[in-house]
Formats: sequence, structure tokens, C-alpha cells
Amino acid sequence: MPGDRASRLPGDDRGARVTLPSECEILIVRRFAAPRAAVFDAWTSPEHVTHWWDPSREPLAACDIDLRPNGRFRFVPGGGKPAFTGVYREIVRPERLVFSTVVASGAETVGTLRFDADGRHTILRLTMTCASQSDRDALLEMRVDAGTVRTLENLGEYLERPASRPASS
Amino acid sequence: MAMNELDPLSLTFQALADPTRRGILARLASGDADVSELMKPFALSQPTISKHLKVLERAGLVARGRDAQRRPRTLVTAPLEDVDRWLEAYRRAWEARFASLDDYLARMPKKKAVKGRARRSR
Repeated sequence: MPGDRASRLPGDDRGARVTLPSECEILIVRRFAAPRAAVFDAWTSPEHVTHWWDPSREPLAACDIDLRPNGRFRFVPGGGKPAFTGVYREIVRPERLVFSTVVASGAETVGTLRFDADGRHTILRLTMTCASQSDRDALLEMRVDAGTVRTLENLGEYLERPASRPASS
Repeated sequence: MAMNELDPLSLTFQALADPTRRGILARLASGDADVSELMKPFALSQPTISKHLKVLERAGLVARGRDAQRRPRTLVTAPLEDVDRWLEAYRRAWEARFASLDDYLARMPKKKAVKGRARRSR
């Protein structure tokens, strides 16, 4: 895949950071070089979402957004890749967006997007709150399976890291 | 021994799912310590600390040092590295998407982004 590989390396402050703040949560933090209204709109308008949701940059096969509390959304990539669907719970432009989505076990997971301004940049915090720790771990694991190629690529990169590097840093 | 049927990653997560045990690991990250030294910052009884240490040992996060008298405990980072690697796969999946969003934001039509403001020519 072409693109700026360096910007995705761990430790680079442009890349996403993932932490587990509690037994049932996953927190993903990422900085974007755009004002938060733009980042919020990129998440909530179908004409925007369709252009970036699929990491391949291919436009989505379908993208429906009913942006109001209890309104549904559906992001469907081409090529039979899994769709991302759910229901909006809270919409506060441009600072907060809450949605619920159903995970493989049938349990509901709540996604909370927080958009914080940092100068002209935006710090996006996506918290996935699962019903239980096993649901959370299943969600993490599913990603590993879905991205086997990326996992292998990642493993190669990981193995190249200095062995003395502490895991917690 | 039913617990040992859990895969190593589940054992690690189970061990990490308690704030006292995470505190013990944080303490051990700054150097080996015996049970009495570990008791101090937590205001817990020796049996309670020993119980937590047993869970951490079973997950392979803590090992016993060589000094038979003091029985110091030492941090083992290998299981944490496995968690790190596991999270890294998840992180990469999101980062691939976010990198795409990043590129899109740079060329996103301004009219949609800033409502009620005239579009500026660049």
C-alpha cells in the first residue's frame, strides 16, 4: 500500500494511540491538522464519510446517515467488506458524537467521539465502551483477525524493534 | 487448575483487571520488592498481597528473585509485550482509517466544513 508509512509508526505523535482505560473500554486518540468542525463534519456527512471511511480510499458502496438522536447510520464498503452500522445517541456539533453499535456477541457497544480543539488542530478521542470485558477483548481480537495482513506486517515491524524497549512506554 | 485453560493473553488481561495488581506491577517496574515492601503503599494485609501476587505469577507477570531469604518479586515484561503487540494490531487498523481521514481533511471542500461562512478561494 502506498502512503506515508512513517506517520503510522508507534510513538509518532501524528499516529493513533490505543489504551485500555478500564476493563470495558478501548480509547483511541488521534490528532488531525484541521479545525474540529471539519473533523466533526467529516464524520457526520455521507458525502464526506464515503471518501475516507475505507482505508483503501475507495468510495463506499453505500453510506446512509440520519443525523439525529435515534437516527441510523450505515457505512458499507465495496468488495463485501463488513459494514459499520449503528444508531446515533447524542449529537453536539462540533464537540461530541455518541453512537451505539451491536458487536458480534449481540451485545451493544457505545462509541463516544470527543473533538477537542488544540490551536488549529483537533484531538479526537474515540472511546468504545463494551458491555463486559469479554466483549471488549472480543472486539480487539476481531480486529486482529480482520486485519491479518496488517497484523503480520505489524509483527515484522515489532520484531525489528530493540528488544530492550519497555512494553509500557 | 481450571484457570490455566485460559489462553496466555486472557490470563494477562485477567491479572491486569485489578487496580491493586496494576499498582504492584508499577511498583515492581521501579525495582524488585519483597512482600513486606509491597504491603506498604497499599495498606493491605500480607495474605491479600500474596493472593494478588499469586495471580500475577500465574499470568507470568511476576517471578521470584534468587534471594531465598527475602523472596523478592521481579517484574516479567514478556506478557505485557504480547498485550502491546495485540493492541498494536488494533491500533494499526484504526490508524489506516485515520490516515485516510487525515488525507481527506486536507482536500475536503471548505463549504461543507464551515457552515454560514463564505467559501474562500485558495
